[in-house]
Amino acid sequence: MKVLGIETSCDETAAAVVDDALHVHSTVIESSIDQHRDFGGVVPELAGRAHVATIGPVVREALEGAGLDPTHPAIDAVAVTSGPGLIGSLLVGLSAAKTYALAWGIPFVGVNHLEGHLFAPLLEQRDLEWPLLTLLVSGGHSLIVLQEGPGHHQVLGETIDDAAGEAYDKVARWLGLGYPGGPEIDRLAQGGNPDALALPVSMIGDDFDFSFSGLKTAVVRATQKYPDVAIGDVAASFQAALGEQLLRKLRRALERYDVRGVALAGGVAANSHLRILVRALADEFGVVAHLPSLAMCTDNAAMIGAAGLYRFAHDGASALSLSARPNWQLVDVA
Amino acid sequence: MSYRRRCTSDVRTNDAGEDFAQLLRSGDIVLLVGPLGAGKTTFVKGVARGLGVIERVTSPTFTVVREHECHNELGIATLQHCDVYRVASLDEVLDLALGELVEESAVALVEWGDIAASVFGRDVLRVTFEVQSDEIRVLDVEGVIDAQRANALEVWATS
Repeated sequence: MKVLGIETSCDETAAAVVDDALHVHSTVIESSIDQHRDFGGVVPELAGRAHVATIGPVVREALEGAGLDPTHPAIDAVAVTSGPGLIGSLLVGLSAAKTYALAWGIPFVGVNHLEGHLFAPLLEQRDLEWPLLTLLVSGGHSLIVLQEGPGHHQVLGETIDDAAGEAYDKVARWLGLGYPGGPEIDRLAQGGNPDALALPVSMIGDDFDFSFSGLKTAVVRATQKYPDVAIGDVAASFQAALGEQLLRKLRRALERYDVRGVALAGGVAANSHLRILVRALADEFGVVAHLPSLAMCTDNAAMIGAAGLYRFAHDGASALSLSARPNWQLVDVA
Repeated sequence: MSYRRRCTSDVRTNDAGEDFAQLLRSGDIVLLVGPLGAGKTTFVKGVARGLGVIERVTSPTFTVVREHECHNELGIATLQHCDVYRVASLDEVLDLALGELVEESAVALVEWGDIAASVFGRDVLRVTFEVQSDEIRVLDVEGVIDAQRANALEVWATS
C-alpha cells in the first residue's frame, strides 16, 4: 500500500510518498520561512497564501519523484495533517487532500501532526526496539511521550505555558537575532559561557511538565540588568538552562519507565546542545538514542504518510466532512 | 480615568487576573499591552481561573487563538485567548476577524493588543503592564467604563 502524505500545518508545504513497509519513495519540502524572517516568526496569513501557491507543484514533484504519473498516480490513499496548527494553513492542505482523494477515487485520512512526529524515528530505523521515550520539542509544542509501539502513546508531560521553540524564538527576537531563533542561538552559544548569567531551571517538581515562560522573562530581566554581557554568553546561558530543564524531566522519565530507547523529535531536535545532552543521557541509562536527521526534525510529509498508514489501517478512512482542528492535542488522538 | 493595581509577584499578577474576571461581561474585548515577560500570560491564567476554565491555559502564540470553555455564573461560556505577537500588519488583524470571535457569551483577551487597538475602536478595555522591577508589575486598566464597572474596578484596584 502506498500513500501520498501532505503537511501544511505551519510554514512548510510538504508532500511525500510512503509505503506500508515505511519506505520513503519521495519527500519534498518547500518552506516559506524567508517570507517570515522580517517579522520574527511565522505570519499566519503569509503562510496560508504561500501554501496555496506551492501545494500543487510540491505534490506533483513528490509524485514524479516516486516515479508516479502525477495525473493518475498509483497510490492507495492520501494522508494529511488536519491539526494542530494554523487554521488557514491546515485548511489548504486539507482541501487539497480531499480534492485529490475525490479526483482519484481513493480514501483520505486526517492525521495529527504530533503523532506524525512520533513516527519519524521509525522512518529512519524500521527495526527500532520499544518502548520508547520521546521528547517532542518544536515551535508550538513540548511534550514527553511514552510509546509502547507505533500508534500507542501516552503523554507523560507537556509545557504549561510556552513551547521550547517558542522560548528560543522570543528570546532571539528580544536579542535582535533572526528567525527562527533556534539555529541562531545555537550558533552564538558555541564558545559562550553558560554560567555568565544565573538563570532559573524552572519546574523542578516531580511531574514531567515543562515551563519556559519564566526563563524567557529571566533572560529579559538579566540582559536589562547586565547589558554588557556578551550575546554569546547570554545565548549559552539561556540554552544551558533550557536544556537542563528538558534533561531533568527526561531523566526522571527514564528512572520511572523501563524503555529501550530515547528519541528526539520536532524542530528543536536539530539543536546541537540538546542532541549532545540526550546522547549522553541515553548512554548513561544504557538505552539507544534516536537522534533524527535534520530533514526528519523539520515538519515533513513522510512522517504524516507513515502515521496516516497506521491510522488508516486501524481506524479507516476519514469522512470528507472532516474539518481542521487547530488545537488538536495528542492526548485526544484515538 | 484609569485604574491601577500593583502586583508584587507572579502570584499577585495571577490573582489580579482572577479578580478581574469577576468584572467581565460577555462581549468584552480586553487588550493586554506590555513587553516580553511583563506578566500578560500570567494574568490570562488568572482570568481563566476566575472564569472557571478547567483545562490548562498555554501560550496561544503558535495557533494565534485558543478557545477555552468556561464554567461560571457570569454568563460567560467561552474565553478566547489571542496572541497577535506574530501578526505583521493591521490588515492581518482584520483578516483574523478577532472582533467576530467574541459572540454572545464570550470574552476575548488579546495579548500584544496594542497592534490591534485601532481595529476594535474605543469599545474595548485595555490593560497595560509595566515592569517596575524583577518582581513588581503595575497594571493599568482603561477604556470606556460605565458607573457599575467603575465601582468594580475601584475595588479591583485597591484589592
